[in-house]
Amino acid sequence: MISNLVYEWRRLWSVRATWIMTFVYLVITGLLGAGPLFLGEEISNGQTWKGLYSTNANYLCLVMISVVASQFFGHEYRYGTIRLTLTEFPKRERVVLAKTVVLAVYVTIATFLGWAVLGAIGSIAPKGSIGTDGPGISINGGEPSELWQVLVFGFAYCLIAMSLTMITRNLALGIVLPLLTFSVIEGLIKLFSSLANGKMDWIVNALPFTNGSAWLTNVPESPNAGLIFAAWVVGTYLIGSAMFFKRDA
Amino acid sequence: MRIEAINLDKHFRSVHAVKNLSFTVEPGRVTGFLGPNGSGKSTTMRLMLGLDGGGGETLYDGKKLSIHHPVTRTIGAHLDAKFFHPKRSAYSHLRMLGAEAGISKDRVHEVLKLVGLESVAKKRPGGFSLGMGQRLGLAGAILADPQVLMLDEPANGLDPQSIQWLRDFLKHYASTGKSVLVSSHLLSEMELLADDVVVIARGELIAAETMPTFLSRATGSAVVVRSPQSEKLAEVLSAQGITSTTDGARTIVIPGQTTDRIGEIAFTNRISLSELSPRTASLEQVFLELTESGQEYRLGETS
Repeated sequence: MISNLVYEWRRLWSVRATWIMTFVYLVITGLLGAGPLFLGEEISNGQTWKGLYSTNANYLCLVMISVVASQFFGHEYRYGTIRLTLTEFPKRERVVLAKTVVLAVYVTIATFLGWAVLGAIGSIAPKGSIGTDGPGISINGGEPSELWQVLVFGFAYCLIAMSLTMITRNLALGIVLPLLTFSVIEGLIKLFSSLANGKMDWIVNALPFTNGSAWLTNVPESPNAGLIFAAWVVGTYLIGSAMFFKRDA
Repeated sequence: MRIEAINLDKHFRSVHAVKNLSFTVEPGRVTGFLGPNGSGKSTTMRLMLGLDGGGGETLYDGKKLSIHHPVTRTIGAHLDAKFFHPKRSAYSHLRMLGAEAGISKDRVHEVLKLVGLESVAKKRPGGFSLGMGQRLGLAGAILADPQVLMLDEPANGLDPQSIQWLRDFLKHYASTGKSVLVSSHLLSEMELLADDVVVIARGELIAAETMPTFLSRATGSAVVVRSPQSEKLAEVLSAQGITSTTDGARTIVIPGQTTDRIGEIAFTNRISLSELSPRTASLEQVFLELTESGQEYRLGETS
């Protein structure tokens, strides 16, 4: 299993796209974090370190590292290297496991680097723009998340991107589908639901990213949001893995 | 390492691509894998590597590939000249592939030098020619010095010098007791390279035997004799039920016979010979004869 991990680690960092997307992720995280602190007294009033550190759970940040997540399988299928990978490691469950572990490590590193950037920005922010009273401002709406929630949500989002790439075998779809669902499709469904006088509420209550966001921002009206989001993440992962095990390389 | 492909079978929806195919690849020999376009060669190789699902199994020294560890010291496969990330340098590509067997950086440089890619080791292979891609693929296959090499059309895109280098390399590789299975459309090249042949058409096995045995199947195999007494020899042969044809004033061609037999008859009948030579059919000739009916994608007649 160690050799699987070494293989994946080398595969991950030996393409420039990984470095570029990580850099862009850090830049966007910094800009989004700096916005509430530098754009004016009215906005910055009430920001806390906790609020600042929840910035990198925003989907504008996550989409950047989800590109890297999609590349775990997307590049393999696009360039045919999956056949080299599976010749070297015929046990496919180990390949999936190694990719998942390395993805988790990558997301952890990226998230910590994001926090480092946010910490640096917070330290140069105008005096008094970061207070200690109150919950602070979350760019994601609701209450700011705990640090572990930011990390888990980032990994879950990337896992969905990787799983969708396993299912579709298409790098672009692995990136675009979660982003579109998160930013557009679920919004439209909620709009239709509001027009349907509550007849579609059961659909809204089951949407993956609506629940994911509710869990992330600790919305008290959605006590099961975390479970529903987890079910989507695990379900997509299991379907993707099953298809990877079964299909021709 | 002996490879046994046992009852390999593969369907692509309604197409029966590989039909119950069984053959062996012996250690210390180069086995040529031949077949017309679309005959199922690449699919068979993918089945043997476990990349595609299908019927049957392939055993490497009696064991499945996944049981061998490290796998890359057991088998090295090169299936396509473009199986690399175009932005990952040749060196990084090989470093990645060397993970399973713990290949050192020195070995990566050694292999890059061997295939002639050392000067472009740090370059991105996206701009490589087909021939350079083949070399990189071959470098990946031989990186861990595996017991088995499985190469799919490795000579495509190579210049004549590289083809000769590849031939010498593969012959030397097999001579150290390792197994080499190589598919190719370059039949003249394969004739020089392969010790054994496996021929398939429409996914079915046509032949699996040594190269000389395969060549002897041709209807064109004959003995050519030049003699000042060619007419007398023709009469003697005819008396023994052996047919011959005249090919010029003093030359006769005797199909389906060996030089030993004809030489013996001439000696017994005190007929002097100035030439006695076998005329063996080329691999191309035999291949075309045997696979003509099994060609999946037929060409039109040329005028």
